[in-house]
Amino acid sequence: MKTKSLIASLDLLFMFISGILLMEQVHLCWEFFRIIQPLHIFGSIVVLLLFLLPFLYQHISGTLIHHTKSRSGIFFGIVLIVVLFSGVYLFLVGNPGGDEIALFVHTLHLYGSFLLIGVLFWHIRGLFGLKALSFTATVLVLFSPLTLHSQEKMSNIELEDGVTRYHVKEWTNSTTCKECHPEIFKQWANSNHRHMADGNPYYMVLENLAEMDRGVEFRQWCMGCHNPSAVTTKQERTTHMMQENNMPDPLFVKDSLNLQKTYKERPYRLEQGVSCAGCHSITKATAKGNSSFSLGLAKRKRYLFEGESAKAKVWITNHLINANPQTHKREYMRPLYKKSELCASCHDEFLPHTGKEVVTTFKQWSHSPYNDPKDPKKHKVCIDCHMTYMKNGEFTPLQGHSTIGGKFKKDIKVHYFAGGNHFLAGLKSKENESQSLQLLKTSAKLDAAIKKGRLLIGVTNTGAGHKLPTGAADFRQLWLDITLKDASGKTLISSGKLDKHGNLQKGSVIFNKVFGDKDGTPVGLFFWRYEKLLSDTRIPAGKRVENAFDIPKDARYPLHLTLHLRYRIYPQWVTDIVKAAYPALTDPPAVSIAKLEKDFE
Amino acid sequence: MSILRLTILGIVIVVSWISLLPKIMPYKTKQPYNDEELRQFALTHGMKPIPKEKEALYKLIDSKENHVTKEKVSLGKKLFFDPRLSKDNTRSCASCHMLSKNPHDKEVFYKDITHPQNKTDCMICHIKDQSGSDRLAAAIGPGSMEHPQHLNTLTILNASLAKYQMWDARSASSLESVKMMITDPSLMRLSKQEATKRIEGILAYKKEFAAAFGDGVTFDNIAKAIDAYQRTLLTRSAYDRFLEGDDDAISEEAKRGLQNFIELGCKGCHTGITVGGQTIQKFPARNYNHIINVTGVFSTTLKGRDVARFEFNFEPYRRFPFENKGGFLGKDEQQRFRVPILRNVTKTSPYFHNGAIFDLRRAVYIMGKYQLSMELSDTQIDEIIAFLRSLEGKVIEPKEMP
Repeated sequence: MKTKSLIASLDLLFMFISGILLMEQVHLCWEFFRIIQPLHIFGSIVVLLLFLLPFLYQHISGTLIHHTKSRSGIFFGIVLIVVLFSGVYLFLVGNPGGDEIALFVHTLHLYGSFLLIGVLFWHIRGLFGLKALSFTATVLVLFSPLTLHSQEKMSNIELEDGVTRYHVKEWTNSTTCKECHPEIFKQWANSNHRHMADGNPYYMVLENLAEMDRGVEFRQWCMGCHNPSAVTTKQERTTHMMQENNMPDPLFVKDSLNLQKTYKERPYRLEQGVSCAGCHSITKATAKGNSSFSLGLAKRKRYLFEGESAKAKVWITNHLINANPQTHKREYMRPLYKKSELCASCHDEFLPHTGKEVVTTFKQWSHSPYNDPKDPKKHKVCIDCHMTYMKNGEFTPLQGHSTIGGKFKKDIKVHYFAGGNHFLAGLKSKENESQSLQLLKTSAKLDAAIKKGRLLIGVTNTGAGHKLPTGAADFRQLWLDITLKDASGKTLISSGKLDKHGNLQKGSVIFNKVFGDKDGTPVGLFFWRYEKLLSDTRIPAGKRVENAFDIPKDARYPLHLTLHLRYRIYPQWVTDIVKAAYPALTDPPAVSIAKLEKDFE
Repeated sequence: MSILRLTILGIVIVVSWISLLPKIMPYKTKQPYNDEELRQFALTHGMKPIPKEKEALYKLIDSKENHVTKEKVSLGKKLFFDPRLSKDNTRSCASCHMLSKNPHDKEVFYKDITHPQNKTDCMICHIKDQSGSDRLAAAIGPGSMEHPQHLNTLTILNASLAKYQMWDARSASSLESVKMMITDPSLMRLSKQEATKRIEGILAYKKEFAAAFGDGVTFDNIAKAIDAYQRTLLTRSAYDRFLEGDDDAISEEAKRGLQNFIELGCKGCHTGITVGGQTIQKFPARNYNHIINVTGVFSTTLKGRDVARFEFNFEPYRRFPFENKGGFLGKDEQQRFRVPILRNVTKTSPYFHNGAIFDLRRAVYIMGKYQLSMELSDTQIDEIIAFLRSLEGKVIEPKEMP
């Protein structure tokens, strides 16, 4: 009897000690944690089913027969049941943070176990101390081999700081995130970050042109931001998707169903573009630009079986994460991710061969009135506009849960990545398109006046924390669409119209920058040939730009002015070229982001 | 009872240790050869570089039955890109064996994509590959008809150095295969007489033929000219530079891949200067289907290793470890194929005779499992692919050609 009681108490001690090691206050080294966590859970189940319950059954039925009453025994039984059930609840339902019951159960499990051990000592006070030596030995046997090997592994991991490349397996597929973050996944799946590489026909054509012009190594410059997973796995180029004998059109695929399908069939096929892990595993980022971030994929802390694709293993990992989610949160949500520097690491670009700045979105912001850390009311970082939900044209922070069972959040940072490119996202989801259009419409205001026989039109950048438009080269078109009619309906001024091929009329007032090569000719698609800035008419943050037009002297008043500030993501000539390779592509629409109608007496 | 419980606990502990050990133990790589040893190892196992020197190159591409001369090559090049060599005047040799007229033209992509009458197809991007093959699973004949046996286009780069030509090794020389392709009803579909008549009717060709050959336009001479052009299409790659003594030409991973390639047995068939194309082999050498599904006992149509057909077929018998599109069975319908050339293999997906596999990793895995009975690990596949990538080369510039 005594030996059996001892074995049973040792089992309980094993559960207790492994549980204590899992506590946050212990700060257990991750390599130990990830092994001990499943040992605690599955070990407890095994020990419980094979030893503890049979022993308790015998033990209790024996006491019932002999009519011995033990208050400590009854109390112990109750506490044991509470701890066991709370443990099962924590594993199956998890404790992701938002569930009040789970929080309560967690407390119950934690303090219940201390109580349990206390009661155990009380219950077996006669027996304890007899074989303390063998007990210590057992504990050592249970933990020592593990300790040895973990240390060996640990040193390996420290060496991995200097890894030169990742294996495709390191790049956790975004589909795996969908399980617990379905809404965020959906937003991202239709956004431009997802369709940064193989899903973006414009990019694919330009990357090919880049190779043609500057050699195959130059692709890495593009891929650094557009396709970091391919760069770190030492891929030479971005490849398009293939299904059987044809190229499936990624343009109109909603919710990245193609990605999910590929993941199902081939879990370790590299996911291209900016994936969840692409941003959420960045450990350091500087505002230098040209993908100036460091990734911590190889040395990140993983739960047991994390990154595996077999269904059973995925089930176990998901439950392990849910049971102790602190490390998962810390690993994939760093304070850095809320700072502008993170975005700056890619949204500032310069040419690697000349150092010329091509995209300076972050620098424009840092010199703008929006960068004002002293005044928290005025200070606005990238995510305050680009990752905040919009409703009816206004910033309306989205409230709710970003994770299934997670904490209630007052301002969920949405992953639509609203911005200039409403077009490609809009082919997949109207919601994504609407988010971008709403944001665009907050960016500028128009005003018009007539002075001394001249029509003065002002455009003010009211909303954007950077120049309007920003982005690469002259691929963004922002222009004034003006129609001025006199009393008889005769058109006096007409500017900024599209011809039947979709090309913008010559002489339109357009806000952009034009790059020239070393001879001063516009670079066209080859923006990496940029040497001289030919013109820059973009509107800086908070500034107003005025344009004047002559009104014919014989005009009969009153005059009627219809004014639009139109925006098109790519000029027609660019789309025409891209269409040669991607015939399914449609023409991007010219949207009106500000409108003004006015009569002049 | 307690013994039973202890046994179960023992099993649980053993199983969990086995599944946990690979995560705890560090991965150790086998000590590789040093560069010089590896080079000698490769050279003594039948691997040869394509030479750099003009004389050696000329010796390599010349043949007794069809001497390579400048006139023949320039004439052959014109014929290669001439769609008049097909029945309906739509397809030239270059439609499937994609090459641009000047494989050294860097701007070919930009020119194609900005051409006012640009045609929209895969060629716009893939002509840059200069792979001598298209990226379609099956060859396309006149009237955009797919090859009836769904045969994938083989690359013509380096192909003249192979001992056998075509998937079923139907022809032994590249000259013979050129003739076959022109007359093949599913490829160019032009009879000998028609071809001669068409070319004779074109004055410019007639003159050039007179200059290149003694006996003017004949079907043989048409084929000889194209063959002479094809013979000049050789590629030199990082692998060749490594074999010639440049240690830095290929990466460490590719070197390990080369070692795997030789040691695991790939080089047994993919051998010679072309890294393939020198032998005829059975595919799949080991068909695991036979173990479970023994199929075809009383059938007279099936031959060879097919032994029996029983009533209890669990799943349909598969000839290949992929879809048997087109039903092609190789030489003598024995599933014997010419071993493909691995030079530029990274540019010639999809793979296998009917183009059923699109993924190079998958292709390497299948080759390991069905030809060598090995489940290659992911690392081994990675290394082999790094080696295959080092076989990727550019067509040798004409000025380097004799």
